[in-house]
Amino acid sequence: MESSILESIGQEIIGVMSPVSICMLLVVLLVYSLSSSNPFSSAPIRTAANLVYLENPSDSAGQKLEGALLNALVFVILIAIVTFVLVVLYYYNFTNFLKNYMRFSAFFVLGTMGGSIFLSIIQQFSIPIDSITCFLLLFNFTVVGVLSMFSGGMPIVLRQAYMVSLGIIVATWFTKLPEWTTWALLVALALYDLVAVLAPGGPLKLLVELASSRDEELPALVYEARPTLSRNEGNRRSNLGLLVGGVSDSRSVELQAVSNGNVHGDGSQNGRTAVEVRSLENVEGERNRDEGERSPLVVHSRERYSSDSNSSDYSTVIRTRESEIVVDEEMSPLVDMLGMDNEREQVRRDDTGNAVIASRGIKLGLGDFVFYSVLVGRAAMYDLMTVYACYLAIISGLGCTLILLSVCRRALPALPISITLGVIFYFLTRLLMEPFVVGTATNLMMF
Amino acid sequence: MTVAAGIGYALLALGPSLSLFVSVISKKPFLILTVLSSTLVWLISLIILSGIWRGFLPLKSTTWWPFAILIFSSVAFQEGLRLLFWKVYKRLEDILDAFADRVSKPRLYLTDKMQIALAGGLGHGVAHAVFFCLSLLTPAFGPATYFVDSCSQMPFFLVSALIALAFVTVHTFSMVIAFNGYAEGNKVDQVFVPSVHLAAGMMTLINFASGGCIIGIPLLFLMAVLTLMYCGRMVRRRLTENQRQGDS
Repeated sequence: MESSILESIGQEIIGVMSPVSICMLLVVLLVYSLSSSNPFSSAPIRTAANLVYLENPSDSAGQKLEGALLNALVFVILIAIVTFVLVVLYYYNFTNFLKNYMRFSAFFVLGTMGGSIFLSIIQQFSIPIDSITCFLLLFNFTVVGVLSMFSGGMPIVLRQAYMVSLGIIVATWFTKLPEWTTWALLVALALYDLVAVLAPGGPLKLLVELASSRDEELPALVYEARPTLSRNEGNRRSNLGLLVGGVSDSRSVELQAVSNGNVHGDGSQNGRTAVEVRSLENVEGERNRDEGERSPLVVHSRERYSSDSNSSDYSTVIRTRESEIVVDEEMSPLVDMLGMDNEREQVRRDDTGNAVIASRGIKLGLGDFVFYSVLVGRAAMYDLMTVYACYLAIISGLGCTLILLSVCRRALPALPISITLGVIFYFLTRLLMEPFVVGTATNLMMF
Repeated sequence: MTVAAGIGYALLALGPSLSLFVSVISKKPFLILTVLSSTLVWLISLIILSGIWRGFLPLKSTTWWPFAILIFSSVAFQEGLRLLFWKVYKRLEDILDAFADRVSKPRLYLTDKMQIALAGGLGHGVAHAVFFCLSLLTPAFGPATYFVDSCSQMPFFLVSALIALAFVTVHTFSMVIAFNGYAEGNKVDQVFVPSVHLAAGMMTLINFASGGCIIGIPLLFLMAVLTLMYCGRMVRRRLTENQRQGDS
């Protein structure tokens, strides 16, 4: 029985959703296990996010709201300034400085923030470990993390795992902010994200455009759903085919689909068994080079790709009467549609009607991981019910963003829809659903 | 006994769905998306219902008829939603088939359609278990337990986990029956699903009487087994029919 299309559709979406889910789950577990006797939770920490106002449980609601809004405003302004500095540095080609700065900050975050979280875990569960071993383990963890995130040659799984753990560490710290400030901050960041990615002259938009016009990697911490083929082959043609996400500094917000630059088309003109491989050289897709390979070569190269890349990244070759059709398994209808609209060459030879597409990966900024998890972690401090509601809201928001991504074909902010839905569902659940469900369930009424 | 008890209750309610998820759903990304979206639909329906009933809460726990109205209205609302879900699914199926034609892959098989229905039902069931059982389990991880007056034989968490298990089964498989009934235009199937749902909901009213859970829960499980058997017979009939068509 031939495999049905159910197995191929939606793979990319799941590829992004599963790490986000893992990140949120671990943050919730951490918040739960540490909140009971956490040394920091009693004394609120002073960070950039609550410079102006330190929340006090005895303050009135108005005071809290005002303070929280001020905090959020200051934090967003800080982030905007940092992002602009980043863009300016990138514009003047201080790439090495940026790279080293990112290495340092990742080292710092993993080492100190991660270290303090490990310490509190050790205290909480009274794990017997001596300080020298602990220090050695932490140092190794940190160094391997920095290496795997910023240099090639490491397995992509390790890289992804470290990205997720970096997100977890930062998010766990953010959950230590006071309640009102957290909500104000989340909403403000979602708004900022919207402006920074979509408005003309927004810093993230500028950064994405700069990076794509230079044909370089984005200078930011970005989670890649899947390795791009060009990297596997060790060649640096990392063409950002479709930018669908914004970017920023380490608390960044980005989501982008990347076509790896090998767009395999087939044109079975006039019944010849000729298959042309065209590679899309750059973003605009203007200089495409017609390699004009014969079909056996194409089959060959596709097979080589499949052996190179990981299991999710394979393709099949179906032989038909007249032509070789190279079908990539990972197309979803939406992606396919996008490919049809976007790649001009395909439009040019739509007389063949055969499906084609390069393998693509979706990139999600680490900032999205962090703030999704902050929302869920904050919800975990109230009740489990709000956690589930927020999780579902965020995931569906992410799904909507991914769908929009394939419709709009440009960098999109991943925070606004998810955070809005998350906040709405949190308050609806807390105010409406909880009394209803608790009222019926404690009477053992269910339906 | 604390963390272990909590995990035990959770697995009691969600264990079968978990194994179903791992063995059938998790291999196909599209089915995972279906589960998630149907869970979201159920959550939204619960929020809307609680919004409507918010004004009347808290209900007095001495009279039973307000609860009967509540359960009736909720079941009616959710069955209406199931119809809507079916309409959306129908359009999705057309899109999927069109897409399959374009990439020259086979169209959806009968088993695929059933799996989508199963995933939709699992989403509903999991949402039920999560919101009615799992979210109240937090105290079970602590050192104490909790008994309700009307059912003093078992801890509250155990009762709610058992009820949730029955409802997960009913929800999961009634979606398969319903989708099949709509597709075939079979009136019996179409009526069977809401009536099972309503009957199961009404059986929880028995818990209201003191010691009623001794009778109510076995009855509830009877409904679950009934749904399961009905679904199994229907699926076998469809599959053999399908095979015969394929042979001829």
